[in-house]
Amino acid sequence: MNNSNLILKRTIVVFLAFISTVTFGQIEPNNGVPDSKVKMYALKNATIMVNPEKTIEQGTLLIQDDEIIKIGTLIKIPNNAVVIDCEGKTIVPSFIELSSSIGIPEAKSTKTGYSPQLDSYKKGAYYWNESIHPEVDANLLYSSPPNVNTSLIQKGFGFALTHQKDGIMQGKGAFVALGASDIHKQLTDWSDTYFYSLNKGKSKQSYPSSQMGSIALLRQAFYDAEWYQNTSDKERNLSLEAIISAMESTQIFYTNDKWEILRSAKIAREFNLNFNYIGSGNEYQIVDDIAALNSTIILPINFPKAYDVTNPYIARQIPLSDLKHWEMAPHNPRILREKGINLCITSEGHKTAKEFWEHVRQMINFGLSESDALNALTLEPAKTIGADDRIGSLDIGKKASLMIYDNNPFTDKAMLLESWSMGERKVHSEVPKHKIAGKYNLIIKDRHLPLTIKGEGNKFSGNISLISKKVSDGISKPDTIKLKTKVILDGNDITIQFSIHDSIWDGSTNLRGKINSNVGLMEGEGMIPTGEWIKWSAIKTEKSKSKKKTDKTVIPFDSMAVSWFPNMAYGFDSIPESQTLVIEHATVWTNEEDGIIENGTVIVKDGKITRCGKGKFSKPKGAIIIDGTGLHVTSGIIDEHSHIAISKGVNEAGQAISAEVSIADVVHSDDINIYRQLAGGVTAAQLLHGSANPIGGQSALIKLKWGYTPEEMLIDNAPKFIKFALGENVKQSNWGDFNRVRFPQTRMGVEQVYYDGFERAKAYRKAKDDFKKGIINEAPRVDLELEVLIEILESKRFVTCHSYIQSEINMLMHVADSMGFRLNTFTHILEGYKLADKMASHGAGASTFSDWWAYKFEVNDAIPYNAKIMSDQGIVVAINSDDAEMGRRLNQEAAKTVKYGGMTEEEAWKTVTLNPAKLLHLDDRMGSLKEDKDADIVIWSANPLSIQAKVLYSIVDGVILYDRENSHELEARNQREKARIIAKMLDSNSLGKKRTFVKKKKGHFHCNTVGEEESLEQNHH
Amino acid sequence: MKQIIITLCFSIVTMIGNTQEAKKILLLGGYLHVGNGEIMESAAIGIEDGTISFVKNSLAYTYKAEEWDTIIELKGKQIYPGFVAPNSTLGLTEIDAVRATRDFDDVGKFNPHVRSQIAFNVESKVVSTVRTNGVLMCQATPRGGFISGTSSIMALDGWNWEDATISKDDGIHLNWPSSMQGGGWWAQPAPKKPNDKYGERKREIIDFFQMAKAYSNEIDPKTIDLRLEAMKACFNGNKRVYIHANELQEIVDIIEFSTSLDIPFPVIVGGYDAHLVTRQLKDAKIPVMVVRPHSLPENEEDDIDHAYKLPALLKAGGVKFCIQNTGDMEAMNARNLPFLAGTAMAYGLSLEDAISSISLWSCEIMGINKNYGSIEKGKSATLFVSDGNALDMRSNNISLAIIGGNFMSTTNFQTELYHKYSKKYTK
Repeated sequence: MNNSNLILKRTIVVFLAFISTVTFGQIEPNNGVPDSKVKMYALKNATIMVNPEKTIEQGTLLIQDDEIIKIGTLIKIPNNAVVIDCEGKTIVPSFIELSSSIGIPEAKSTKTGYSPQLDSYKKGAYYWNESIHPEVDANLLYSSPPNVNTSLIQKGFGFALTHQKDGIMQGKGAFVALGASDIHKQLTDWSDTYFYSLNKGKSKQSYPSSQMGSIALLRQAFYDAEWYQNTSDKERNLSLEAIISAMESTQIFYTNDKWEILRSAKIAREFNLNFNYIGSGNEYQIVDDIAALNSTIILPINFPKAYDVTNPYIARQIPLSDLKHWEMAPHNPRILREKGINLCITSEGHKTAKEFWEHVRQMINFGLSESDALNALTLEPAKTIGADDRIGSLDIGKKASLMIYDNNPFTDKAMLLESWSMGERKVHSEVPKHKIAGKYNLIIKDRHLPLTIKGEGNKFSGNISLISKKVSDGISKPDTIKLKTKVILDGNDITIQFSIHDSIWDGSTNLRGKINSNVGLMEGEGMIPTGEWIKWSAIKTEKSKSKKKTDKTVIPFDSMAVSWFPNMAYGFDSIPESQTLVIEHATVWTNEEDGIIENGTVIVKDGKITRCGKGKFSKPKGAIIIDGTGLHVTSGIIDEHSHIAISKGVNEAGQAISAEVSIADVVHSDDINIYRQLAGGVTAAQLLHGSANPIGGQSALIKLKWGYTPEEMLIDNAPKFIKFALGENVKQSNWGDFNRVRFPQTRMGVEQVYYDGFERAKAYRKAKDDFKKGIINEAPRVDLELEVLIEILESKRFVTCHSYIQSEINMLMHVADSMGFRLNTFTHILEGYKLADKMASHGAGASTFSDWWAYKFEVNDAIPYNAKIMSDQGIVVAINSDDAEMGRRLNQEAAKTVKYGGMTEEEAWKTVTLNPAKLLHLDDRMGSLKEDKDADIVIWSANPLSIQAKVLYSIVDGVILYDRENSHELEARNQREKARIIAKMLDSNSLGKKRTFVKKKKGHFHCNTVGEEESLEQNHH
Repeated sequence: MKQIIITLCFSIVTMIGNTQEAKKILLLGGYLHVGNGEIMESAAIGIEDGTISFVKNSLAYTYKAEEWDTIIELKGKQIYPGFVAPNSTLGLTEIDAVRATRDFDDVGKFNPHVRSQIAFNVESKVVSTVRTNGVLMCQATPRGGFISGTSSIMALDGWNWEDATISKDDGIHLNWPSSMQGGGWWAQPAPKKPNDKYGERKREIIDFFQMAKAYSNEIDPKTIDLRLEAMKACFNGNKRVYIHANELQEIVDIIEFSTSLDIPFPVIVGGYDAHLVTRQLKDAKIPVMVVRPHSLPENEEDDIDHAYKLPALLKAGGVKFCIQNTGDMEAMNARNLPFLAGTAMAYGLSLEDAISSISLWSCEIMGINKNYGSIEKGKSATLFVSDGNALDMRSNNISLAIIGGNFMSTTNFQTELYHKYSKKYTK
């Protein structure tokens, strides 16, 4: 955002507002003389939380019209002021809600039915994609809904930034003053704020179908707007015009997870934007990364409820990560604030004011200061939207929007007495003047009845003891009956009602009267069952004992609650560091000329291999010595084809070409499969886009750095890769009969998709060149998709192509040859053995399954001897997983190449280490045990190809990330932690706080998984 | 009588093919894994009319060559009983993604009358690739519904399903409701909730079994109820009741269910949590066909190696078990059964126990151990020979396989394609 522009804008707005208040607020005609109004109010004797820094006791607040004109302790109250005595009461500035949709209708879909929708159905000159609608303006949609308004006011909010929560570019918000009597007064023009998210929302358009697609689409839309701004000759587009105005406004980004904050921050950097983020509540897990953004975070505080853990069979199924998050969530605001992050708080997710205030007090109890809490609810949100010159505190000159409580609501249960909105007063409840609980002698006519009243505030109940004689077995005994009695207190008026059935009266008695609590007397008139209108009185005989009440709903702070890295089972207490290691007397599989060395030594320092070989080496100081006698040491396994650790969609299936999307944008590091695969000796992987379209998305090359962030997992300066795909998946053969819309539906069509894509890329490149050379005056529109295709044409990005049948493989090699680039890797490539000679002469590598087949028609001719035949033809052959389960025992899969076709063990081992490193162009850093290569090392209990082999250690960049023995300790620690938290939950359950555990389906991404959810379907690869 | 003495090699056995019908076969000198935990370092195995006539120490055995049709020298080789793939869709499916080839899941909640035997495809290309790894039998098992149907145990070779049948209608398969079940499909998953309808579904099953039991007591029912007829044998011990379940709640409920209904042969299939109740399972004599060892842990904090270790945990707990392979691409993956046992061995089973867990114990649980599952006198000659340890990928090389005394082809279309295309490149 451009700051000087903003200031300029604000000044203008202030100026206009000023004019409107001194002239006529109302331009509508009046019927008769306008209503009379109080000119000035004085609220005196109150505890006033003026702003987060300042609270005054016994203070006075002067309000004129809608503005605070004076505040302090020694203020002369003008004669014309209406004085309100606030003795014992607390005045708090009205809170500001930034995430609301009050008064705004919900968005609707434009389409029904299953058939894919490729184009926008929205009418008008808007963006081509229905999830991009920055033109939606909440100011035009807003209507005042009294009920919803009230519920926010009950929570203490006087203002709300409301908008239609839908889509990726959601549109503009409306800033409203809640509770103001007139809609014109409610709707302000104080803030221009635009909203974003990574969820496509109600749009049913096919694209985007994944989070990486949402990211790419958002970026493309920003580029489109830039181009629109700088281009003279163009078709009108209202959406792009709205984006351009958004660039100068406040921008708020919705996130559903901590990683989404980092993902959107990347976009903000690319376009030099300042996003404010609405968080999801788990930011504490990566607080340092969040703090580094220097952005305002708007936090929800709807902390998760405790699970119902009374049934241990169910309790044991609750993931530890959920339990740990339950425990840590209320710490989130404090942890973020401690790092100096600017916090706002949203009440989203709370149905009632009671729940909301419980959570406010809980986060304060967990260490967020009262002043920080107030700031996060008032001044910080006001600053965020640029309205802190008018609202956010009770300083002089600000709007008179405030709440009056009977108590300090941040520390104790408090009752909302009055809400003031823009100078308008609304009384919600009154502090009861009388404490009527106690025992009374109730006299009605000449009857004396002992009456007991219980309760406090405005809620009372009572009973009357009636002694009668009961005759049983001929003996008469006294018997006491307690009659339930209704007691209603309203100001000075009391109503008492009961029914009596005895020898004297039979029916209902209704009494009404006044209270004089000073002398403990009530008296008045009423009707008794006989129908007589009588006088009555009640004299207090005994006061009720007052009980000190403690707020049981607040869970005490617990220093045992700490976040792990990642905050789930097998997470580390602290991130382990790189070690100096000496592994000696081991069988060392070098993958180099030395082959397999007996009694070898490997030395690791600063994340690199410094020595590897036979003989004696001097041991570096402070090194950890691992005796490798009987053990085998290898370089780490590299999985050329993996889909673990990916958020919300592995396929952008919305279009036939989606080169603009990148898996690297959506890597996440709290997938337990990272740890599981480390336990299987995998240290690096290519996370591939799926196979739903001929040109898929860009890959992420990662190391399996458990406990680190996604950014740290990505391999530095990794070569660029992209996924292509052929065959049944791209022609949507197995997607159901309604999927017959998207081109291509045949192998014939697939070829044309490629030619079309590359021809368009060439034309785009030429336009760019022409602009550079000055042949054309205006730059072509940035096209993220074609940019990537140009990289392919210029051999700056390598292709990994999902492939099965020889015909299409042959076709694609012809396409590549004619376009002048090389296909780097065919993955799956189950018929590679049929054209290994052609592949070899093209220069393609192969990454295949050891023995999979029979899962679809196009793998009918798959044979497990494939790897061997291709290898014999000089092709670099890797064995990959494409499967989270198989990924953790790739050593066994490599061993199958010995069985099928008879590879030597040394060559077999290379299919999961050196060969994938070569295919990924990482063999200068990984894939073998050689000096100066990355210390990605696995220590095995036996020959790694043997069925007996187990991983003892997995080391990545010199850091021991898996240690079999330590893993057993972590497992025991997991169970202890679970037991500890469940015990805490049981306490919480006993307070009646619980929710049913909902087990998430355990899915995994495969090549053919479409959508943002992981698949439970059979794997079709 | 014609005498053939064969020193085993690939091509010769290929020549024999599956048409060879030698009446008397002598296997000499191999390292024998009996299947029952015992071994014999150098065995002599006599086969007459498809039945093992003796198993002797070959060093102490002298034979007259003219008494045998075929004598096969197996020095340095390993002999195993034919492995069994229980609970498998093998033979009932060909290509998972092609609906026309899927014959394992029919419409209906309670389908005990639906029988796999007659749908078993002996010429399945998938089957041909499974037996070449030593898996010579399978339990062809229907899927879906509450009761999927009735399985049969089939040999992985034959002219038709009749002569491939080893045990017709060996049991019904009951999918116990999940205690954590929910709805939805993968693109729009509905959350799973505990106990939601669990009690109701359990009740439905109990009601069905009570009805079936009452029917089975009827001596001459006036109208034949196909479903209940198919259930009869479950109560007199002629059919097993295979109950598919994994979670603890389900397992303890199944123990109660089978005891209260007095089911003679209940079997739990899956049993992910079975290690937690080994004593109860042992006391109730309920065996477990254990979850595929190559499975991911169910829960985030579970032991990473749980599925690898589960067989050894059950062994230690005294529970009878065998290894099965249901899951992703289970038909094709049946050929990896030996390596599932191998993995279980790496994580605690002894080598011979690992072999039993895919041979004798499977046959005991399915009730065919009288004739199958081990290489002992009087049993069917259903065995194979491997160059090395058949449970290790590198040395599982099958050079000879016999089912019921008949030689089986040790090649398949995949080996043929291998040779065809190898030739392309040697030209």
